[in-house]
Amino acid sequence: MLKKDLILRNPLSLLGHDTDDILPAGSFGAVLARAGVGKTALMVQIALNAVLRDKNVLHISLNDPVQKVSLWYEEVFRNIAKIQNLQGINDLWETILTHRFIMTFQVEGFSVPKLKERLTDLTAQGIFFPQMVIIDGLPFDNPVDLLTDIKLLSVDYRLPIWFSIRTHQREIAAPDGLPPQVVGVSDLFDIILQLQPEGKDVLVKALKGGPSEAGHPALFLDPATLLIR
Amino acid sequence: MEKNIQKVRNIGISAHIDSGKTTLTERILYYTKRIHTIHDVKGKDGVGATMDSMELERERGITIASAATFCEWQNHQINIIDTPGHVDFTIEVERSLRVLDGAILVLCAVGGVQSQSITVDQQMKRYNVPCLAFINKCDRSGANPSRVIQQLKEKLGHNPVPLQIPIGLEANLEGLVDIVDMKAMYFDGDNGENIRIEEIPASLQDEARNARELLLDAASVVSDELTEAILEERDIPSELLLSAIRKATLERKLTPVFMGSAYRNKGVQPLLDGVTRLLPCPSDVENQALDMDNNESIVTLATDPEKPVVAFAFKLEDGQYGQLTYIRVYQGTIAKGSTIVNVRNGRKVKVGRVARMHADQMEDIEAIPAGHIGALFGIDCASGDTFVAPGLSLTMTSMFVPAPVISLSIVPKDNKSQINMSKALNRFTKEDPTFKSHYNDETNETIIEGMGELHLEVYVERMKREYNAEVTTGMPQVAYRETITRKAEFNYVHKKQTGGSGQYGRVAGYMEPAEEDFVFVNEVTGGSIPTQYIAACEKGFRLCLPKGPKLGYPVTGVRVVINDGASHAVDSSDMAFQAAARGAFLEGYTKAKAVIHEPIMKVVVETPTEFQGSAMGLLNQRRGMIVGAQDEGVMCSIEAQVPLAEMFGFSTVLRSSTQGKAQFTMEFSTYKQVPQSVSEELIKKVSESKKHVA
Repeated sequence: MLKKDLILRNPLSLLGHDTDDILPAGSFGAVLARAGVGKTALMVQIALNAVLRDKNVLHISLNDPVQKVSLWYEEVFRNIAKIQNLQGINDLWETILTHRFIMTFQVEGFSVPKLKERLTDLTAQGIFFPQMVIIDGLPFDNPVDLLTDIKLLSVDYRLPIWFSIRTHQREIAAPDGLPPQVVGVSDLFDIILQLQPEGKDVLVKALKGGPSEAGHPALFLDPATLLIR
Repeated sequence: MEKNIQKVRNIGISAHIDSGKTTLTERILYYTKRIHTIHDVKGKDGVGATMDSMELERERGITIASAATFCEWQNHQINIIDTPGHVDFTIEVERSLRVLDGAILVLCAVGGVQSQSITVDQQMKRYNVPCLAFINKCDRSGANPSRVIQQLKEKLGHNPVPLQIPIGLEANLEGLVDIVDMKAMYFDGDNGENIRIEEIPASLQDEARNARELLLDAASVVSDELTEAILEERDIPSELLLSAIRKATLERKLTPVFMGSAYRNKGVQPLLDGVTRLLPCPSDVENQALDMDNNESIVTLATDPEKPVVAFAFKLEDGQYGQLTYIRVYQGTIAKGSTIVNVRNGRKVKVGRVARMHADQMEDIEAIPAGHIGALFGIDCASGDTFVAPGLSLTMTSMFVPAPVISLSIVPKDNKSQINMSKALNRFTKEDPTFKSHYNDETNETIIEGMGELHLEVYVERMKREYNAEVTTGMPQVAYRETITRKAEFNYVHKKQTGGSGQYGRVAGYMEPAEEDFVFVNEVTGGSIPTQYIAACEKGFRLCLPKGPKLGYPVTGVRVVINDGASHAVDSSDMAFQAAARGAFLEGYTKAKAVIHEPIMKVVVETPTEFQGSAMGLLNQRRGMIVGAQDEGVMCSIEAQVPLAEMFGFSTVLRSSTQGKAQFTMEFSTYKQVPQSVSEELIKKVSESKKHVA
């Protein structure tokens, strides 16, 4: 019951997709923002939305240690539960944990063959079968080759993959409005969302795919909780 | 006692077993004139090395307890805390690492970085302890310091920079080239006590110059002054170079590498110079305490002997003069005759004798100022206690002591062992707050409880060795618990009115799950249970808790509310209401869907990345839920939540499937409900053991 409540009320469904899966298998989504605006919080909400529907999420972080990522989940989950005024969420939290696996890499140590090896470790021994992947903190300096390799992996494993992409102030956007980090690789992405501070709020703006194309109302992140509202 | 805190060093010597740690310590004590003869580790001369003061350690050639000793070198006072090199004695290690400011990582020139070196290195990393490396046993056949330096880089992720190169190797080891001062050192005399300085042999000139280039390159990263001097191609004074190396060492950006052979008396004095020149003094390290009056918020301590005292008792020893407490003073001064307060129990203690220890010999002193390590006599305390000046409320460790999660029955073999065993238990429970013992009347066995299988094994072993108490142990038992999962009402009448003085009491209300262990709420109105019997009701409920009705495990997480009842003018009594409450508890409990909870441990496995898959597989097989895997270059750590019941024998299995290269730490995390299948198994086991008893 609790689970159903949380799914129904999850404002992520407002991202304007009819099906549960915002991203189909083998496709890429991206959340772009400057440092500290709420990329990880939004990614964790996307992950929790999947986890609550019993999907297994593999969260890969190239920034934070396992413990910190774990805290992000707990914080976001408890905030959602608080806003929805739900009681007795401890058991639900326990079930969430079984659907989530955190993997961290050092930025310089991350490579697709290594990721593949880790995925094989998990699946071959029946430890964890990811159905969605979050990659947080991957530097997008020269991403073409790396992303192409990850794309092949995502198609192979039939995995939707979300990336967080850090943008910088005073960057000049391309004519189509895309920031330089995704120029040249935007074709690989089905959805590109940008978090843009607007006054006190943070606007979730779809640069590609997503709510504005579907004619949905604008989404905002609450700057206090970093939750979508 | 050295007044200038800049000239004090508190260091640990960490190493793999058999890499020569104890021999090195022994030589250090010899050269600093603390001892006048040299003994071997395994005691060919029947005396044994000075630091291994415990019999068990001498016999096995390993160091279990961290004896502290001090010595003086070049006007510096060095306190050496002999840290255990064995992963299983974690409490000892954690406490030792807590009090030291820097360390020497001893590595074997033949064996190189072995799994145990990885363990001790991980521990130092965790505590951010700056260290020097000493490549020992360069005289042994197969010695290869370059390979060890490479391993330091690859296996431990250090940035090792040699400060010396060997003159000859294996049996031809003659001396060392110091590449800071660019000179050759030879160790003459029977025990290498006379250092002869000469020019670098021509054959090693090029190698020395290259090594110095590398050293300058590495040290210049942290020093602009040094970088400028290099760019301007000026002469680089040794002092400038050393200060840059020191800065980088303190920030753990660089590991200066020394080498030699402690056994052949080569290279120990330069290492001591390294300790005084490169490792931090107490005021270089920031120490923190927790403010008990302010929700355990963090307070930074000042290494100032004039400020109010804050000190940490890190080790207890039973000596011939009574209890000896090893203490590190972080702030203020502990002087003979002063009064200090034990924060744990608030007791004031007057300091009697203050001593400075040298393994198991001692020297009386007047005071221990901030930054120093010493020992107190006749102070009743436990290991890990914090002592402060009256009026302060700071603690060096959190006051939270987790409840034991595993128990083991022990039976003494004879009467003498029985007496010794109780002495030992008395000592151990004082030393270690997570170790507990009690007597079980039903089985006539003494039960010891602790935080893990190895934790208890170590104490059983110490009982035998130190106290000569031979005991037989039972199988380790997991501390399961029972709890309820739903609200249930009760309305129970206890009535015995058939002749003689009668008993009557009715207790009604409900019980429900709670966060706390047990909560009793009285909502009785109108005197249906007279006030004088309410306490008896609570007692009746409490009596049911130690042995739960489902499987006999302690009951926790229950809130009992009584809201109605009845009494009899003549037949009601405390006894009757206690009995009624017990009946009520049973009645409610059977309806409240009781379940079994088991202790879940947070297990962190640190393993070379090539074994990540197999380590995860092992955890998974043990009903473990893997939270995540963290890649840290050559090593990775896997964090998991695993039921304690599944962790028996894990260390052996982990070692064998990772060529001994992985290690793990385990700490209690939480209690969780056991799965249905395990619960059924437990029920079966309990009923079988009941049959057995019957």
